[in-house]
Amino acid sequence: MKMKRAAAIMMVSVMALSAAGCGGSSDTSKDASTDAKDTAEEKEAGETDAEADAEDDAEADGASGEGGASAGGDLNYADITLGEDYTDLTATISLFNHRTDLESDDYKGTKWSEYLAAFNEMYPNIKVELTTDTNYADDALMHLQSGDYETIMMIPAVDKADLSTYFISYGDLDTMKSQINYATTWEYGGEVYGVPSTATTQGIVYNKKVFEEAGVTELPKTPDEFIEALQKIKDNTDAIPLYTNYFAGWTMGAWDAYIGNNATGDSTYMNQKLLHTKDPFKDYGDGTHAYAVYKILYDAVANGLTEEDYSTTDWEGCKPKINNGEIGCMVLGSWAFPQMEAAGDNGADIGYMPFPITIDGKQYASAGADYSYGINANATDDEKAAAMVFVKWMTLESGFSYNEDGLPVAVGDDRTKLAFEGVEFLQDEPSVEGEEDLLNELNSESELNINNGGDSKLQAIVEHAANGTKSFDDIMAEWNEAWTGAQESAGVEVTEE
Amino acid sequence: MEAKKSMSPIQWAKSRKGQKALICVGFMIIPLLLLFVFTYFPFAEMVKFSFYKMKYTTPVEKRVFVGWKNYIDVFRRDDCFGALKLSLFYVAGALIQLVLALYLATILSFKVKGGNFFKGLMFFPYLISGIAIGFIFKFFYTRGFVLDTILQWCGFELENLPFWLKDQAVNNWSLVATSVWRYFGQNMVLFIGAIMSVDAELYEAADLDGANKFQQFIYIILPSIKTIVTLNIILSITGSLSAFEQPYVITDGANGTGTYFVIMNEIAHTSQKVGLASAMAVVLLMIIFVCTILQNLFFKYVFRDASSEDESYKAKKARLKAEKAAQKAKKGAV
Repeated sequence: MKMKRAAAIMMVSVMALSAAGCGGSSDTSKDASTDAKDTAEEKEAGETDAEADAEDDAEADGASGEGGASAGGDLNYADITLGEDYTDLTATISLFNHRTDLESDDYKGTKWSEYLAAFNEMYPNIKVELTTDTNYADDALMHLQSGDYETIMMIPAVDKADLSTYFISYGDLDTMKSQINYATTWEYGGEVYGVPSTATTQGIVYNKKVFEEAGVTELPKTPDEFIEALQKIKDNTDAIPLYTNYFAGWTMGAWDAYIGNNATGDSTYMNQKLLHTKDPFKDYGDGTHAYAVYKILYDAVANGLTEEDYSTTDWEGCKPKINNGEIGCMVLGSWAFPQMEAAGDNGADIGYMPFPITIDGKQYASAGADYSYGINANATDDEKAAAMVFVKWMTLESGFSYNEDGLPVAVGDDRTKLAFEGVEFLQDEPSVEGEEDLLNELNSESELNINNGGDSKLQAIVEHAANGTKSFDDIMAEWNEAWTGAQESAGVEVTEE
Repeated sequence: MEAKKSMSPIQWAKSRKGQKALICVGFMIIPLLLLFVFTYFPFAEMVKFSFYKMKYTTPVEKRVFVGWKNYIDVFRRDDCFGALKLSLFYVAGALIQLVLALYLATILSFKVKGGNFFKGLMFFPYLISGIAIGFIFKFFYTRGFVLDTILQWCGFELENLPFWLKDQAVNNWSLVATSVWRYFGQNMVLFIGAIMSVDAELYEAADLDGANKFQQFIYIILPSIKTIVTLNIILSITGSLSAFEQPYVITDGANGTGTYFVIMNEIAHTSQKVGLASAMAVVLLMIIFVCTILQNLFFKYVFRDASSEDESYKAKKARLKAEKAAQKAKKGAV
């Protein structure tokens, strides 16, 4: 029976192929036999040709006209003067990003519609079509992979070597450094492919009132002081001391952001030293490095200083909760600060403090670019120009980074609402030449995915701490093993202790 | 002969034979093309990927051929192959689901007050989107929410109740229950359809012979619908090997609920080990093939006696024996 069926399928496909040939030949013979029809067709063809010619001419005219406007050599971020250049440029560009909240009518800050309206006051002929997405990090990669993506995108996690395939350069690194901070974020081969939308720092968002009520008078500066403070909150108030946001996943991955500058005070650690470090997750014994960061999470969960049921935490729900004083603190980047302020009537209670790690008596904080704007390399010249104008406008004129409680992006701009007294801001140094993609490779190979969506490893810490299934040192030993394995497979020289 | 040679393609196309062929092809070419472009071609690509070390964004020329390494990894790694253990929960759930569906289908296929209403009610969950179900059940299982409240009405103390999604001893069962809740209605409707086709006179005859309802079920209904039962079992078990929706939406595969598919998704999209994930997919396909074939053989064996078309096993044995005896007798006579 099966054989027969297979044979039948074979027959069918053979017939399909052979008959397809027949169909073609019979068509041509039909055409040849009907002369009258042919002439009619020719006539039609003639007409359409003429039409097409006319259209071509029109297009050519348009193109040359626009070409004249942009005939200033290569497109370059630094050379654009807002309000003077490209003011007569007409273009429609699309913008794809992750800020769904800025599209909502409930948003208390400045909404996308307001930014775009303000932009159109200066550039009325550039139309910006907006798409936002809650699952941005994954969907953006899909868009890129499909080859058909928006004119301006927030650059997702692509390999730096592939940047030029997808995005155009804003200019060389030296020039861009004079224009924007964090120019090295998306730099490759001396060219800059991304301009940050805003810049953030890494600390802890907390409710000042809860800390006060618990009797924490001074902000904790070391892991031990921090755990102590959490314990006080648990003992003296009804609030959940530390809310893990376990369920949302990416909120757990956020812990990775603290293992660089915050935990080492060394701006070369994240992109250079970590790659060559032997067992980076080992206990350094002085409350620093990755070990200390993750141990805070483990200890907090193990001592019952987090929510009782981590598996049903709710990201949207946590915002009003911290605003109302039902949550003591959450470990999130400064980008989360405005959202927590806006989530209720007690915005003034929300504060932002440095991560509780002190290195030789001093606290450090990472300052880094948030998502950066990249401009589609396959767009037309006009679209590229319009997109670059828009990006420069967003950086210089929109006030976006100030409104979003970020650190300034444009050089010479110092407006910000964040203030960490006595805390030194550090920017991650870029990778050494030739090692731009090494972190990605080690991440992928070890599956730890540090700062790259490695949520499940942190969720595992919470699970093991809550259920007592594995000690913290065992987890760290496993990670060290995975890291060493990845270093070996990538042929990395291990030079740092 | 002469006439046949001069037949032009047009004439051939107009002939009965030609028309038949053209129509056959005309109807088939589109579905075949779609099938090839959207199923077999991507599948072949995936099989190819499984021999490479690559990310989604790796350009074609930078992909590294690694031979069978990905396949070896699938079997070596705890989290890949070990995740299949979780499928046992879902297989158990699938069996419960089928028994439940069969039971309710049998009841509902007799005259029951409000039968259609119940059918609709129980089929309804299947119509809700899986993502929505995920959200419903996340809140359903949240501490102090729906399930806990209902259980408290029944006299349970909140302190004695487990955390449905946190406690690793119960969380997989919670997810399986969701899956059962969603799919048993669909199985039930299929069973009812099959039971409807049983000749009513058989029940009447059975009644006259004094058979009770249970005997009717065992000796009339079950043998009549065995094909659809087999099909449902095969579909449910292959489905439970590839369980994805519930763990992905309700727990995100964390906390020991990561089934094979969820792990595969994480490896493919977070760690970007596309080759390894493709190899996992191919391995799962093979496992499903093997399971289906084994199940088919098993049911052939189980239902052998009940089969009306095939010769029964006993009869065949008897016939062979008789033939042998006859041959012997013949030989003896010669």
